[in-house]
Amino acid sequence: MVIPLEQIAKIAGLAGEIMLKNGAETYRVEETMEHIAKACGAVKVESFVIPTGVFLTVHDSSERMLTSMWRVRARTINLDRVSKVNELSRRLADKRITFNDAYDILHHIDLERTGFSLVPSMLASGVIGGTTAVLQNAGAFEILGAFGAALTVRYIAHVVSRRHGVQITYEFIGGMAAALIGVLLAVLYPETNRDAIIIGGIMPLVPGVAITNAIRDVMVGDLLSGLSRGMEAALTAMAVTMGVVIGLAVHLL
Amino acid sequence: MLGLKIAAVFMMSASIGILYRIPRRLLFYDGLVGVITWLVMYTTTQAGGNIILADFLGSIALGVVAEALARFLKKPATIFIIPGFIPLVPGGEAFATIRFMVEGHYTDGVSMGMKTILIGGAIAFGIFVSSTVYRLVINYSMENNKENAGKS
Repeated sequence: MVIPLEQIAKIAGLAGEIMLKNGAETYRVEETMEHIAKACGAVKVESFVIPTGVFLTVHDSSERMLTSMWRVRARTINLDRVSKVNELSRRLADKRITFNDAYDILHHIDLERTGFSLVPSMLASGVIGGTTAVLQNAGAFEILGAFGAALTVRYIAHVVSRRHGVQITYEFIGGMAAALIGVLLAVLYPETNRDAIIIGGIMPLVPGVAITNAIRDVMVGDLLSGLSRGMEAALTAMAVTMGVVIGLAVHLL
Repeated sequence: MLGLKIAAVFMMSASIGILYRIPRRLLFYDGLVGVITWLVMYTTTQAGGNIILADFLGSIALGVVAEALARFLKKPATIFIIPGFIPLVPGGEAFATIRFMVEGHYTDGVSMGMKTILIGGAIAFGIFVSSTVYRLVINYSMENNKENAGKS
């Protein structure tokens, strides 16, 4: 069965879009799109991915070619989807699955709600904060405080990203909230170790995916993507820092 | 105390996995990677090593373990790298920088900030170096079997 070029571009582009939207590295998106397009019968595939868009050109055996482009605006982090699309491309390349099935599965991956809902991720965030306080040699009260601060930060992130969608905002507000919680507890109970609470509170805001992807993009030579993801990480760190600065400045009043 | 810290690191890495929506059955591996990374870092500092060297060695261990697990479980290596390096993040140093700056001790703040940046750089380059070398070795040993080279 010969799959038309438009269909090949459609499935490969959808796969690339899903991966990029959910936090995959640039080279992984490019390679996956190439593997999928080749598995569907394209002779030559060129792809170009930047953190905000996907470009794809496919050639078939009769020298026709098709270029298409997907703009990616909203980005989240869902590594479950990345790993599922990755697996699908392997299965497609090994011919263990047909084109139509693969397209349906991709659509399903794109739309399904995977992973954990708000309450588990708030608890997870709290655990990150509490355990960070443990590593800072804090006492039981500080550990609880850091747990509460990190939990609140995650809730703020959820609310702001629902209403607004801009990442830097919730990182700034989250940093400020963590600092204010630490300051408040230190004012109420003067023997509290304020610093451990704030460190725990801002830990869930560390831009882990942006940092890792920046490193791995630069590693394989995708300098453009590496630079912009590094910039994203730096901006996030800056936003959290400024939030904490303002929160701490309140304590000096 | 050490046991408590190891348990804390395990829970921290697994929680990062939940936060970034990593497939559920991989959460245990995430915790394991985090503990290995942190233990390498901790042992180095306990043996009298500089914190920068300790974080570098820790993230080298992280890169190797993550790439090996990625190949073994056929999953993207990022899934193991992200939760693994969070326990190394110099949160205490970064916060000390902010505190010095806010209190007006700019000289202390700049020197602490430099330390933070160097630690961050050591972590980044540790992952960079170990992943690159791991790939070189694997690709070299798979040169006859070109199909699998470069994938992970």
